[in-house]
Amino acid sequence: MTLAADLRLVLGADRVLDHPLDLQIYAKDAGVTPGTVAAVVFPETTQEVAAVVRIAVVHEVPIVARGAGTGLSGGAVPTRPGLVVALTRLNQIWEVDEAAHTAWVGPGVINLELSQHTTPLGLHYAPDPSSQSACTIGGNVGTNAGGPHCLAEGSTVSHILAVELVTAGGDVLLLGGAAPDPIGLDLVGVVVGSEGTMGLVTKVLVKLTENAPEVRTLLLAFPTIEAAAETVSSVVAGGIVPAALELMDRPMIEAVENFKSCGFPLDAAAVLIAEVAGHPAAVEAEAQLVADAGAAAGATEIRIAATAAERDLIWLGRKSAFGAVAYAAPDYYLHDTVVPRTRLVEAMSGIYEIGERYGISMLNVFHAGDGNLHPLVAFDAKEPGMLEKVRAAADEMVKLSIEVGGALSGEHGIGLEKRDLMGEMFSAVDLDAQARLRDAFDPIGILNPDKVLPEGSRCFDFGLVANLDPESAA
Amino acid sequence: MTFAAIEEWQVSAPEGAPAGALVVAPPNLDAVARVLGWASEVGRPVLPWGGGTRMGPSGGVVPEVVVLTSQLTRVVDWQPDDLTLVVEAGALVDDVEAMLAERQQSAVLAERANGSTIGGMIASGASGYRRLRYGPTRDRILETVMASGDGRVFTSGGRVVKNVTGYDIPRLACGSLGSLGIIGQVCLKLWPVPESAATLDVTVDAFDGLYRPMALLETEDGAMAYLAGTAEEVAGQAAAVGAHAQPGLQWPMPLGGDVQIELRVPSPLTSAAVTQLRNAGATEFRAQHGIGLVAAEFDSWSSERLEELRTWAEGQGGAAVVLASPQSDIDRWGQAPGSVDLQRRVKAAFDPRRIMVPGRLPGGV
Ligand SMILES: Cc1cc2nc3c(=O)[nH]c(=O)nc-3n(C[C@H](O)[C@H](O)[C@H](O)COP(=O)(O)OP(=O)(O)OC[C@H]3O[C@@H](n4cnc5c(N)ncnc54)[C@H](O)[C@@H]3O)c2cc1C
Ligand SMILES: Cc1cc2nc3c(=O)[nH]c(=O)nc-3n(C[C@H](O)[C@H](O)[C@H](O)COP(=O)(O)OP(=O)(O)OC[C@H]3O[C@@H](n4cnc5c(N)ncnc54)[C@H](O)[C@@H]3O)c2cc1C
Repeated sequence: MTLAADLRLVLGADRVLDHPLDLQIYAKDAGVTPGTVAAVVFPETTQEVAAVVRIAVVHEVPIVARGAGTGLSGGAVPTRPGLVVALTRLNQIWEVDEAAHTAWVGPGVINLELSQHTTPLGLHYAPDPSSQSACTIGGNVGTNAGGPHCLAEGSTVSHILAVELVTAGGDVLLLGGAAPDPIGLDLVGVVVGSEGTMGLVTKVLVKLTENAPEVRTLLLAFPTIEAAAETVSSVVAGGIVPAALELMDRPMIEAVENFKSCGFPLDAAAVLIAEVAGHPAAVEAEAQLVADAGAAAGATEIRIAATAAERDLIWLGRKSAFGAVAYAAPDYYLHDTVVPRTRLVEAMSGIYEIGERYGISMLNVFHAGDGNLHPLVAFDAKEPGMLEKVRAAADEMVKLSIEVGGALSGEHGIGLEKRDLMGEMFSAVDLDAQARLRDAFDPIGILNPDKVLPEGSRCFDFGLVANLDPESAA
Repeated sequence: MTFAAIEEWQVSAPEGAPAGALVVAPPNLDAVARVLGWASEVGRPVLPWGGGTRMGPSGGVVPEVVVLTSQLTRVVDWQPDDLTLVVEAGALVDDVEAMLAERQQSAVLAERANGSTIGGMIASGASGYRRLRYGPTRDRILETVMASGDGRVFTSGGRVVKNVTGYDIPRLACGSLGSLGIIGQVCLKLWPVPESAATLDVTVDAFDGLYRPMALLETEDGAMAYLAGTAEEVAGQAAAVGAHAQPGLQWPMPLGGDVQIELRVPSPLTSAAVTQLRNAGATEFRAQHGIGLVAAEFDSWSSERLEELRTWAEGQGGAAVVLASPQSDIDRWGQAPGSVDLQRRVKAAFDPRRIMVPGRLPGGV
């Protein structure tokens, strides 16, 4: 029987797509590289996911987990004709434990909906990617997603206590648990951020965070981008870790103001959005510290939101950034690299230099407090040679980040987009260690193949260890 | 690889090391890798040794090679303005924290570390009491450089505070108890130390009224809440619960006896765990409210008591872990997790000849 026929036996006719027109929609995520899809399935239970995996194994078809498809690195894009397993229908909020500050949820739950669900309890789910109204918890687990408020609270991995995982063999495993420090190796930490290469996550135990009693949001305007970056460095060095520190440059401010008028100063070269949250007595002092750091760096304007409405307006500006770009240009390529915070100024000037040299139009809005850069290139893919140019510039930006001591990706993942740059950061021996770890989870190589690790990463065999020549390995 | 290549690093055994084992103190991580490569070839079980403060029951396997990290003690790179620190695994936690304190920073490792090393602390997955505020140690390990069980030196993660480049092996190394290989160097994320701190004498009921304390502890002597932040915040919170406040964070003395059991349960069950341990005859205990960890000390060893505590803790989705026991072949963990086969394969990925503390993890992994 064909793959689709076998799948229909388990899921029925309407939860299996294999018409070419339907498949096209699932051939891409929010990034720029398309793939090829053999079929798309919509399981609704863990058992159905396991059954689907076993069928794919029999048919030797690669399995690609998919959440909302808002990923930007090609993680949910099948490279060889693959089976896309959409986990969006596993979207129950199973149980919220108010005393423990935890919740068991399906991977298909939308990030923002989880926080809305727990608002009446005074709790929220802390990682807040800018895509939070669309992306899923499963996708967030897949990429170890970050967000503006991960500066103080940490990325997704710090908020995941347990996962239910369907393995490459179609078995169901529970990793982690509600008790602290589960015994044995920390496999939850490996699964989070593994981009669907270690298994399919079918249930997640998340940690919920108490809402802060007091919040202050500041908007600081600067005459140069360097002055804004300097403020970030001096706040971080100054002994407080704010809840958020986001930077926007002039092109981005203009795009946002054209799209939704949020009252951002159009004459500034950069604005910094800073938020401090916590005990009322601390918030006052910390807001002052941020304001002082901004003033010392030459801020031309320092606004402290006086009301909830003013605060919401500032965040509306920040969260509309990508929508604003989509509105202004047919295509965009959103980069994601990370650098030490002490090298922010240097990294930013390097990135502008690359943009100018390639003659591409670039806008910046990013998680400056983490050193997590997001140069965004707006372009028209129909223009011949444009995408190639954009990609070449991207590679240079990544290499620049590595040169100043940074890493390939802070939150969007490696996927397809950065796979072949892994060698810029890791040696053959480093990559081999990662490949072995992956093989331990997926010995048959069926889970999201061609992602994360470049071809040939698994370069040494067990028996050869002793003869390994360190020169050739490096 | 021959024995002659590693012989020069042989040293005398530290106190408490297994009798008859070959003890080496390699001068750097490449040398550590050579020792492990040799041990893999000849099939000798290896025990990494940091401060040796917390070896715990061995799982019944007698190591033939003990590798000390005592020569790996350098502070490689401290970036105070980036809140990151690169340090070798054999450095003492207390020395590192004392250095960081000069710039009001901390790696938030276990308090009162008494001779523990950075590597040992990470390998044992230990976190300090301040995890209530800052999260467990595994949230702060940004990069590791390790020698795998089969003698290869590899780097994972990166020296930035946010990173998804490749699989999170640094997190896997945390709590691996030496089963994958030897951690030689790590990059840690630091936190600024707040300007003001206080320790409040309270009752357990008062815990709920505090916003984001550093720690909420209960011992046989009573309950303490630990606050830190701006002076106004600390004073304001103390006043709100009406408690007597001592300045600074006054941590209790660590447990030190030969018989210690730790219960790990969902955090709302912390008080229930205390009751279980008291009823089982605990003489001293350290309960971390809001976390669900309670370590307790007993006068004497009893297997029945361990079984009873285990039955209860495992019934709550937790575990009863033996931290110290006069019997070396005791089952330290209890019921192995359902993922034990996968755990075995993960270990084999780094330690194919199974020489690294074989049997030390749950399920004899
Ligand atoms: C406008 C915009 C703004 C964004 N802002 C941010 C941001 O601030 N921070 C940030 O981190 N990201 C951001 N992103 C990227 C993206 O939203 C995140 O990567 C998000 O986590 C993806 O979730 P998703 O549900 O769309 O997953 P998908 O894109 O469908 O999948 C992402 C990866 O996870 C895997 N996966 C999905 N579900 C599962 C599962 N159940 N089990 C196992 N693997 C699974 C997939 O195979 C894939 O590798 C942004 C994207 C856009 C378009
Ligand atoms: C006073 C005190 C109280 C404690 N109380 C608790 C407690 O209540 N709960 C708790 O969980 N822990 C507790 N610990 C555990 C403790 O924090 C860590 O286990 C300890 O810090 C280990 O440090 P060490 O250098 O002495 O390691 P060691 O005792 O030398 O080693 C600990 C383990 O890690 C391995 N190891 C050591 N160094 C490395 C390395 N570089 N690479 C790989 N593996 C390595 C060893 O093989 C061993 O399995 C306590 C420790 C102390 C000192």
